Amino acid sequence: MIDLGTRLGPLKLKTPFMAASGTFGFGEEFASLMDLRDLGAIVINGLTLMPRKGNPPPRIVETPAGMLNAIGLQNPGLDVFLSRELPRLQKSQVKLIANIAGDTEEEYVILARELCTAGDVLIAIELNVSCPNVQRGGIFFGTTPSTLSSLVEKVRRVCTLPLIVKLTPNVTDITEIARAAEDGGADILSLVNTFQGMVIDTVSRRPFLGNKIGGLSGPAMRPLAVRLVYETYASVEIPLIGMGGIEALDDALQFFMAGAAAVAIGSASFSDPLTILRLTGELKNYLQRMNLPSLEGIIGVAHG
Amino acid sequence: MLLCKAKVLRVEKLAIDCFSLLLEEKNLATGSLPGHFLHIRVGEGPAPFLRRPFSIAGTSPGEGFLQIIFRLRGAGTRILSRACPGDMLDCLGPLGNGFRPRENCKISVLLGGGVGVAPLLFLARRLKEVRERVVLYYGVSRGLEKIPVQNFLPPGVEINLATEDGSGGFAGLVTDLHRSHLQRGLRPEEVFACGPRPMMQRVAGMYRDKKVDMQFSFEERMACGVGACHGCPIEIKVGDSDTVFKRVCRDGPVFNPYEVVW
Repeated sequence: MIDLGTRLGPLKLKTPFMAASGTFGFGEEFASLMDLRDLGAIVINGLTLMPRKGNPPPRIVETPAGMLNAIGLQNPGLDVFLSRELPRLQKSQVKLIANIAGDTEEEYVILARELCTAGDVLIAIELNVSCPNVQRGGIFFGTTPSTLSSLVEKVRRVCTLPLIVKLTPNVTDITEIARAAEDGGADILSLVNTFQGMVIDTVSRRPFLGNKIGGLSGPAMRPLAVRLVYETYASVEIPLIGMGGIEALDDALQFFMAGAAAVAIGSASFSDPLTILRLTGELKNYLQRMNLPSLEGIIGVAHG
Repeated sequence: MLLCKAKVLRVEKLAIDCFSLLLEEKNLATGSLPGHFLHIRVGEGPAPFLRRPFSIAGTSPGEGFLQIIFRLRGAGTRILSRACPGDMLDCLGPLGNGFRPRENCKISVLLGGGVGVAPLLFLARRLKEVRERVVLYYGVSRGLEKIPVQNFLPPGVEINLATEDGSGGFAGLVTDLHRSHLQRGLRPEEVFACGPRPMMQRVAGMYRDKKVDMQFSFEERMACGVGACHGCPIEIKVGDSDTVFKRVCRDGPVFNPYEVVW
């Protein structure tokens, strides 16, 4: 009997495949195509305390084997989420992880505190300290070790759910940042968010995106992300969620072998909304073929 | 919304850089309404990485056929233009909120700019069944780009062509042609438009003081196509001074032009 379940410290998932924040909405947009309960978890779109309007268009542009996005965390804000979205999601029995972003430490603390008691449809909190597309907050908290550990510590005190910290790759040494998050009390790290990039429209001679800078996702970033997961695995004790350009089972296996105990699928859901379910089936076949009772046998094996 | 494979029946070149694709997929054909779009995966693997949205130009629900019309714009549309009969296309659709024609109405006006005429052809066919007059304005910049719209329309739809290069129909902008008809007494009760933004903006300006139902279909680059990613924003007025970004894919693509921030 194959067990697809995975354990990330205090967080247990039915499968190791999650939908990455920003690519699956609040979970309902794809509901008519699949049973969302078959997903390990859905990390819902980033939430802020106050509503966010988001960046001016264009917000996306296709790039070789990937895309840049600069959405700017458009969301209705905590109050509207709690009153309008959550009651509906509560009925769905889908495993949701709230991704939160603040301008200040205080905002992160309020978001975490409110969401931890909001209802049992939320199974964890992911701290977004890595959004490259907002003016304040976001990536600011994720690039300096002391700033990050101070933030994580404060959120940790009020966070009764498993606490995930999502790291940015836009740093000199990700392992230093990872250790800072671990020291602050993170249960899990997810890595990596998008790489900052730019496309210039050569006709208008200006940056193409309304925000000028965007975040690169898709297969183009996969080897960069695998390297960062590999190095982080060797530097911290807490479990990792890997992500970056996963489309096929082999891509996911690379992340597992680099040290991720779960993976998230991001922009691949845009071209194939059923990517996560397909990979779930393929992983089951793979484990069977390899005579492995569970995923545990391959996590981190690339380190020898 | 379905995720399905549609069979390519015919690929036809309609004008320079302009193609039509006839597809067979029973459920898509029966479920699609004017203004809906398909989000099509044009290649295998990572290039092109994203799907491409195309508005639906017509359906034959009985036969299970549906049609899209598109212009060559880049790598994605080039691949699509080379599709062969028998190919299976990965389609997500029908998506979006379509046009909502009024209950009681005698005269409808439709204005299409370039390939933006595609969803209006579908709409004109449906409207002709219930309207006394359906008046289509179709504008292109060069005569070479003109698609034979009459082939997509039932008899009785009034077709008014404008070419900016003067190679056919009215010489000039389609909006100037339409304005001259308004001055001569045309009184539509509802106006639909799809085309380049400057064209749609001129149409909206023309009707600013008139009480006419206006529905315009917009275009934006899209990623998910279903409202999850917020990648295709359109700025919409709220109250007197505020605005919000709505999603072209999910909240549109059809919007009231007076709510749009041009």
